[in-house]
Amino acid sequence: MKCEQIGELLPDYLQEGLSGEQKKIVDQHLESCVECSEIAGLWKKLALIPDEQPSAAGRERFEAMLQAYQAGRGGENITRRRDSSASIWNVFQWLRSPVGAMAWSIALVALGTYIGLQLENAKSNSQQDLAVMHTELTNMRQMVALSMLQQQSASQRLEGVTWTRREGQLDPEVLAALMHTLRYDASVDVRLAALDALSRHAGQPLVKKTVVDALQEQQSPLVQVALIDQLVEWRDVEAAPRLEKLRQTPDVNPTVRQRADWAISKLN
Amino acid sequence: MLQVRDGAGETLGVLFERYHAPLYNFYTKLTGDRALSEDLVQEVFLRILRHRQTFRDGTPFRAWIYQIARNARIDHFRKSRPQVPFEPEMAPAVEQGDPAQQMQESELLHRAMMELPEEKRELLVLCRFQELPYEDVARLVGCGVATVKVRIHRALRDLKQIFHALQAAPANSPQRSAAQNFPPRRLGT
Repeated sequence: MKCEQIGELLPDYLQEGLSGEQKKIVDQHLESCVECSEIAGLWKKLALIPDEQPSAAGRERFEAMLQAYQAGRGGENITRRRDSSASIWNVFQWLRSPVGAMAWSIALVALGTYIGLQLENAKSNSQQDLAVMHTELTNMRQMVALSMLQQQSASQRLEGVTWTRREGQLDPEVLAALMHTLRYDASVDVRLAALDALSRHAGQPLVKKTVVDALQEQQSPLVQVALIDQLVEWRDVEAAPRLEKLRQTPDVNPTVRQRADWAISKLN
Repeated sequence: MLQVRDGAGETLGVLFERYHAPLYNFYTKLTGDRALSEDLVQEVFLRILRHRQTFRDGTPFRAWIYQIARNARIDHFRKSRPQVPFEPEMAPAVEQGDPAQQMQESELLHRAMMELPEEKRELLVLCRFQELPYEDVARLVGCGVATVKVRIHRALRDLKQIFHALQAAPANSPQRSAAQNFPPRRLGT
């Protein structure tokens, strides 16, 4: 067998993925071919480059990062079991912030409305009351999300995106804010989270258009790859010409170009 | 990972135990920069926390974490300086008791790896050192499995040429001085 043919088998041979018969063929070739034998030998020799142990400081930084993240997330689940008193304090802090105050006020209004409805229509259908209550709560959550999406802090905007994921149907204003976040937010993480939230609303034509438009606008390869993946997941055939345009952009990241190639092949 | 995704942040510690050394080695072998590798490992775990909701049940976790690791590196080099050239202090730490020839080969190999084009080096690191199956690597880099195998073969061929050139270079040449006659260094020293 020629070296070219052996070259096709060699990678599997090196990872011990060949059948007995094929392995025998490669073994025989390696005995007689210096070139291929050296390549196989080099693969084994790479084991000479030893693994290194990360420093202990890495673990300390990780612990500190985890704590900082938990503190930043306020009453998130992470802290719930570990430090309940800190969690309560964080919730209290959040309620004192402008967004918290707004949420708190809306919750009180919703509660007042609910109690009012209860008193006024004591004999009315309880199902109807619950529906009203549900609508109020939905509106409240969407207002909180909208307000948080406009905050200075990236973590609060991230939280705002998370709020939008709690609703099946989004108010057009919230949807528009999410699309704006995807296109213009300064933080890559927030833009990625916005894309993830928008992925649930593929039925809205404007959402698909925004995602396609964002392809050319985004500079972050991370976001570009996520956008491409999303279009493939939606099987948006109409996006293929825009992907082609993206891949032909001269300064596009090689990974993004590869991803676009892959997406075009999937969509065509 | 499913527990982390569903909010049990404590379990991230378990993932850190399991993956921080492999990730650190992934970065050191790619960049040759220990301090940067430590930073990037931290960034990976921060991204896992932030994007844990995007992890889908049934996805191979190792492939997912290496996707995050690749993206973190791409973002880092996009935002900051280009990759640093190889410096002697980047040579891998070798046990003091190793035979001299083995030590020298290890250093030359490391240097040869660092002289490979980045894409080829990354493929070798993923397949050889991180021991990812070709299928996972293909998914990571966005190409077919057959293409990965062809590229691995080409990368090894190129590595062999660089390695031989380094071996043939005179011992005191600038080409080789970085990889030779340099006292092995333990990490953190």
